[in-house]
Parts: sequence; C-alpha cells; structure tokens
Amino acid sequence: MAEDTNKLRVRLVTPERTLFEQPADAVELPSKSGYMEVLYGHAPLLAELGAGDVTVHGAATEGAGPTTRYNVSWGFVEVLPDRVTILANDALKPEEIDVPRAERQREHGEELWKQAGESEEAYTEALRVISEAEAKIASASEAAQSH
Amino acid sequence: MANVLDLRRRIRSVKNTRQITKAMKMVSAAKLRRSQERALAARPYARMITSVLESLVRRVDLFDEKTGNLVHPLFITRPEKRILLVVISGDKGFAGAFNANILKTTYRFIQGNPDKEIDIEAVGRKGRDQLRRRYPVASYVDQSNQEGRPTQWRDARKGPVEISGDHPGLLVNLETSRVEDLAHSIIARYVHEEIDAAYIVYNEFKSVIAQRLVIEKLLPLIEVGKQQIAGAVEPTEEEKERRAEAALSAGIEIEPADTTEAEEEAEKFGTANVDYIYEQPPEELFAGLLPQYIFAMLYHAMTESVAAEHAARMTAMDSATNNASDMIDDLTLHMNRVRQAAITKEIIEIVSGAAAL
Repeated sequence: MAEDTNKLRVRLVTPERTLFEQPADAVELPSKSGYMEVLYGHAPLLAELGAGDVTVHGAATEGAGPTTRYNVSWGFVEVLPDRVTILANDALKPEEIDVPRAERQREHGEELWKQAGESEEAYTEALRVISEAEAKIASASEAAQSH
Repeated sequence: MANVLDLRRRIRSVKNTRQITKAMKMVSAAKLRRSQERALAARPYARMITSVLESLVRRVDLFDEKTGNLVHPLFITRPEKRILLVVISGDKGFAGAFNANILKTTYRFIQGNPDKEIDIEAVGRKGRDQLRRRYPVASYVDQSNQEGRPTQWRDARKGPVEISGDHPGLLVNLETSRVEDLAHSIIARYVHEEIDAAYIVYNEFKSVIAQRLVIEKLLPLIEVGKQQIAGAVEPTEEEKERRAEAALSAGIEIEPADTTEAEEEAEKFGTANVDYIYEQPPEELFAGLLPQYIFAMLYHAMTESVAAEHAARMTAMDSATNNASDMIDDLTLHMNRVRQAAITKEIIEIVSGAAAL
C-alpha cells in the first residue's frame, strides 16, 4: 500500500472506448493554454485540452518502457489529488498516426485559413485543423526519431 | 394432386432456405455481440461528459441575471416552427419490422406536426431510400460571393418536409469524426436559427429483450443529463418473448455484462466535492463541453441503433428458420401421404386385376 499511495490513477477515455487505465507517477497534458505536468497531490483542476501529446511517466505497463505517449486532439481533463481522468475526442498512439493524411489535413487547414476572409469563426476552425495536424506530425516524427 | 417428385424438390428448396437463414442468424448474433461491446465501451465517455456538465451547471454561475436562463445559445427555446429530424434506420433489410417501424414512427411524427417545416437527416440506407421516395431532397447552389469565396445557398423549399442531408455508410464503421461533423452541423444550424428544434428517431437498446423505439429531443437543451423523450413505442410481451428465444438459441447472453461499477466510477467524473481550479473560464469550458455532449448523445443513439438492428435481424432470421422447419415437416408429411396413396392405388389395381381373372 505504501508505494501505491504515491501513484496517480490515470485514465484516458475516448468516445469509443477506455484506452488506458493505470497507476502512474506523472502525466504531461496538452491543455489549451499550454502543456502542464501533473504529479501526485495536485490541486483539483478542470481544463480543456488542445491538440498534442499526453505523456504518462512511470506507468505500470509491462514492456511499455518508462513513458507511454498518446497523441490526443481536443477534450477535457479532470485532475484530483490521486486521480487524473482525460476525456479526449480522439487519441492515437504515435505509431498509429497516418502522416500523409495529417499532411493533407494541414494543407486543407491552410486552404481554410486563406478562404476565411473576415469571418472569425472560419479562422478559429482553420486554426483548429492546422494545430491538430501539426501536433500529429510532430508526435509521429518524434516517435520515429526515438526508434 | 402434386406428385412425389415435385414435393421432394420443394422440400429440398426449403431446406436450402433454412440453411441460409440459419447462417444469417449466426452472423447477426456475432455482429450483435460486437456492437453490444461497442455500445458498452462508449458509455463511460457519455456518462462522464454528462456528469461534468451537470456539476458545472450546479457550481458555476452560468445563469443570466435577468431571465434566469442558462447563458448559452443551445439552451434558448424558440417556438418550434422549423424542426430537424434525425432518422436512424438500418443499412440492410431482412431485419423484420425494424426499418418499417422506424419509418412508421417518423411518418406519424411528421403528420402530428402538419404546420411545421421539417428537415430530415437520414442516417442508414434503408430509411434514406424510403424517405427519398416520399419527400423531396433539398438542393443547394454553390455560389461565389464578392470576395470569390464559395458559399452554399439553399434553394427555396419544395415542400414542408425536405431531406436536408443523408449519410450513407455512416453506420458501417461508425467513425467518430463523421458523427462529430454531423453534431457540429446540427449545432451550427440551431445557433444560426435555421432550425428551432432537433429530434432524433432511433431504436434504444438496453439489452436483447429491452428495446424500444424513441423520439428524443436533442435541441434545445432543457436540462443536462435528462433524456427528453417525445414519444416511445414499447415492444409487446410477445415480441420480448420471441427475442429472448432467439437470443437463447444463438447463445447470446440476455442481460449484458455488468458495468454498474464502471458507470458509477464514470459518474464521479468532475463532480468531486472540492473547489476546482478552472484552467479556462468556466463559461468557456461549458461552451466547449456542450457540443461534445450533443455529439455523445448522437453517437450513443447510433451505437444503440446498430446493436438493435442486429438483434432485430437475429430475431427475424430465427423466426424464418423455425418457419422453414415447420414447412419442411408439413411437406414431408404431405409427401409421404401422397406416396402411400399411390402405392395403395397400385395395390388395389393389382388385386382387382387378379380378382377379375
């Protein structure tokens, strides 16, 4: 028990299924206003997630290495002192990312950006598409380097 | 009177049919099991979104001081003049009255609202095909405005009821991104006051036996976390019995796996009795969560409908297999009688021939 008490219970849930549910030492989260790291005993917090990587440190998975990464796009996170629940709209392992598709998505986003004109809504939407694509590409290339 | 050879041929053909319906039943049972799992796997997310919204509504001041209404466009109720109806049917036939019942409910809803303009979003191929025969499809014109940007203009209505969009193949893989697009388009239409309300017609699937057809109100939101049922068709006892029988013979558990523990866990999401730090202003969080809530409701409806479709097909195919067996028994009996009669006749002929000698 003594060791377990310093572990966070981390859960990653997508609309389709629960992707990850394990105790871990720390989690890095891509909040909408920047990355943050959560350790055991963090103050309760609710935040909206942007596009980026969720990194779980010291998870108890066999053979997964010291860290596990997931690329997530949009969602919400609830942090409690001993528990982190991530509600992601979409989550992928870096190996699963389809890079050519992400590239196409970025081009599409840039196209939207050019067409946005005066509409603020269209700009926000274009930004969303671009940042999601860029986060995916970055995550995939990082995974390729580490191998 | 049919001769023995004809009867034998018919029996063979019915036997072949029985083989096919039996195979289809087993296939549906396997698919049902998979879609049931998917429906269950999708529940934690939906529960969590709902509970965090509920708790946000309770603890944060999101109400307008003057009117006492929630400050968000999705909570604004207007007189219902234009309605959007999302009809979720099956992609394939051979599912008993599954598709017919959905369409019947849809037509009844439309007839019950004769003075309103209704847009239909058809999900599922069967329903789309039928609705298209009955109602005109809305047409859009692509135009460029002064800055040369393409915009879409909707043509004048051809009738009070129009099909504003269809989504072929959406139910096959149920990709979340496509469901999300649909949810966002519905929200955009509501916010831009193109529609005053949105309903969804689908088959609810609690377990193999407990299914019902519901019309659920999607927008405007009145209260988060409460299903707004505008109408429901409950199955009869007889139907329930048939379903239980079919499930039993296909080896499907009648009650789905116990998930109460996981669900209780999910309900706690975002509701702990502490003061949260809000990374973003609560209003912003709230505005971000609402579209996800609508999406979760839609996705939930679709996963349930797919499971219900497979269950309906399994039941229908089980009935067909039983009917085929009954028919084979009848035909075999009939064939034996005919054969007997022929033999008796021949014996009489021989005997009377011998007596005449």
